[in-house]
Amino acid sequence: MSLIEINNLKYRYPGTTELALDDISLNIEKGQFIGIAGENGAGKSTLSQALLGLIPQFYKGAYGGSVVVDGLTAKTAPVAELCSKAGLVFQNPFNQLSGAKDTVYDEVGFGLQNLGIEPSEIHSRVEDVLKRFGIWEFRDRNPFDLSGGQLQRVAIASVLAMNPDILILDEPTSQLDPAGSEEVFHTVDELAETGITIIMIEQKMEKLAEYCDKIMLMHHGKLIDFDTPEKIFSREDLMEYGVVPPVYTEFARKNDLRLPDGNYPVTIKKLLDLIKTGNFDCKKLMTSLGKITGPEFCDLEEGTGEKQNLIEGAVSEAAVSPESSDRTFIVEDLHFSYIEGREIFKGINLSLDRRPTVIIGQNGAGKTTLVRILKGLLKPDSGRLSFEDQDIASKTVAELAGKVGYVFQNPDDQIFKYNVLDEVMFGPLNIGMTREEAETRAHEALKTVGLDEVSRKNPYDLELSDRKMVAIASVLAMDTDVIILDEPTIAQDYKGREKIREIIRDLSSRGKLVIAILHDMDFVSKSFERVIAMAHGEILADGTPDEIFRNHQVLEKAALTPPHLVALMEELDMGK
Amino acid sequence: MKSISLYADNGSWLVKLHPFSKMFYLVAAILIPLIAGRIFMFAITVFASICMLGSARMLKKALPLIAFSFTIILTVFIIQGIFYKDNDSLLLSLGPVSFYREGLLYSSHIGLNILNMLLSFSILVLSTSPSELVEELEKKGFSPKLGYIINSVFQIVPEMMGTMHTISDAQRSRGMETEGRLMTRIKAFLPLISPVVMSALTSTRERAIALEVRGFGSKMQKTYLYSHPYSTADQIMKWVSILCLFLVITLRVTGIL
Repeated sequence: MSLIEINNLKYRYPGTTELALDDISLNIEKGQFIGIAGENGAGKSTLSQALLGLIPQFYKGAYGGSVVVDGLTAKTAPVAELCSKAGLVFQNPFNQLSGAKDTVYDEVGFGLQNLGIEPSEIHSRVEDVLKRFGIWEFRDRNPFDLSGGQLQRVAIASVLAMNPDILILDEPTSQLDPAGSEEVFHTVDELAETGITIIMIEQKMEKLAEYCDKIMLMHHGKLIDFDTPEKIFSREDLMEYGVVPPVYTEFARKNDLRLPDGNYPVTIKKLLDLIKTGNFDCKKLMTSLGKITGPEFCDLEEGTGEKQNLIEGAVSEAAVSPESSDRTFIVEDLHFSYIEGREIFKGINLSLDRRPTVIIGQNGAGKTTLVRILKGLLKPDSGRLSFEDQDIASKTVAELAGKVGYVFQNPDDQIFKYNVLDEVMFGPLNIGMTREEAETRAHEALKTVGLDEVSRKNPYDLELSDRKMVAIASVLAMDTDVIILDEPTIAQDYKGREKIREIIRDLSSRGKLVIAILHDMDFVSKSFERVIAMAHGEILADGTPDEIFRNHQVLEKAALTPPHLVALMEELDMGK
Repeated sequence: MKSISLYADNGSWLVKLHPFSKMFYLVAAILIPLIAGRIFMFAITVFASICMLGSARMLKKALPLIAFSFTIILTVFIIQGIFYKDNDSLLLSLGPVSFYREGLLYSSHIGLNILNMLLSFSILVLSTSPSELVEELEKKGFSPKLGYIINSVFQIVPEMMGTMHTISDAQRSRGMETEGRLMTRIKAFLPLISPVVMSALTSTRERAIALEVRGFGSKMQKTYLYSHPYSTADQIMKWVSILCLFLVITLRVTGIL
């Protein structure tokens, strides 16, 4: 008997007509690491909730078929009993908190108390998981005071402390910096080795390919395929399901580098092994890689020859004034603190032009604080801050609204109208546009994000990814000179990310400055001309993607990893 | 996160006391003067509470509460001093306004009662973590669900206030003016309500799921992370409170007081 048996599972949410899960059958064995891939709306999260009995017990709706988890029927067994077998980690760690405990330590112990575990055992388990996830030092902090990344670790730790046989993770790394994200994968992989069965929903295909034994490919509630990563990612029709294979697989496909079984390699290791054993011409492969990455990364000879010390050069490079017509923000000797005496910024210097610019760095590096200062939401303690040669340090946010647009990370922080069009028109009307003009702009913005056909719908009826697009449209419609995007790719699948890339390209071509905060390095390398790396409230480096992603010292200091293609390029370069 | 709880662990003896000992004191300190019906008994309990707060370095934190109560007490003094129904013996006249002995005596009763209650509650509230109090109550059979509601108020209300701030920032970013005339401020308030309510509703549902998957609905007997055994100080506090209360009741019943 398999650990999880799903037979002809069908499910429809209350008040809907389409099946969210459509005739799914599969068995999962103990100790396997299973990935779930698919575009938004494929039914991935719904399936994960069905495994815990939350569907249908909590959500109700029409349910057919069966799910049996370690002998318990998910439809009827109490959720509290099922949760001792399977733990679920949510995408948004904030919502995973019990909301009743005022320290991280007590929060992690909460589930164990409910299960009636002996206190001595609780203390030992809590200490163990907190140390394992590197959050022991936060044990006395209030969980609500932690950053998103730290909170996600608390969320995973609090589920793991319950010692489940099965761990289900719903995009657990979407809010983490690359190093934090790698840490989570590594820890989860270690757990898999101890015999825990892992089921992980994830948009980072390179990670699924690296860690999973098998992958479930889902589309419109149906299970399209359930096989090894090599077989899944070698499918010719993968893109039809809104899933892009790992960059290594794409590279292998372009160069017809096949494994003996006819599939393409899916990890960097397997790809390099194949290249090595097959005696392929690395130089030729490098040229091919250059075509994928674009001119920015092409000039390898030069790039590898000079290891510039960008840390030293960062500020001076930033201080080089661009042409005055291109000049946007100038930040000089900026100091800022949330609490008196504890400075976040100790004299930042930065000069921005109109190149699309991204700010990267670990969780808590000061990225959001910096853009909030640029937007006027936070006032610096001292220093000079100007926009297009005008001092803006004393301007109100509303006064700056017509010039600088800011899309918040969470779209639900701003949506309040009952139809999408009114929501998008709110900003334009506030900055003095006429109703007609605002409506025209709103329709244009909605067309840009691909949501014009839902302009009469209630934004709360849309998916999170679409609500995020509504939030972006509501700022685009204001036609500001600067658009700041805070983590725009969170909750977006491949199609959503491509749409955002198009928007950035389009805005830049119209002379607008786009500033984004991102953790997705592959997206960064393909979409931005200028990268600012931050750590601990300092600007570590400021340069082109090529300069930043080849500077290992900076990457390490900022807890970042290079984009997958850059890593591949460096490996190939070494093997040349 | 800015806490709405007034509790702060300053390591004092009062913080170390068991929450129930402080509850025994609270009940005794409120009931004793009420049962005795004498003003000097109020003075004794008020003095005792002030001494306890002072020795636990908490008097400074209690001062705003006392100051707030004085505005109420002063109002009571003025109204009762002038208008109390049994007013007879004139005490002093300030122009056309006359204050009477009976009214002032009656308002002293009310005033001291308010002050006494505030000080006794201060002892409990300033020195006891709400979660510890709830946990101890749950150990004695208090409903864990009600306990959760009490605890979550202390966690989720400040968090909602933070969300409100973020939402206000998001709307200001889109050109909404939040400063200026009253009408502007009222208008600015509307775009804040909907996101706050919607996000609260959404997170309530998600939190309910989060509680389910953390075994909150489990039928198992819940265990507790911390135990707080009764110390000698706890025993003294508890028995002195109980004995004093019984003594006053006895004295009152026998007519000595």
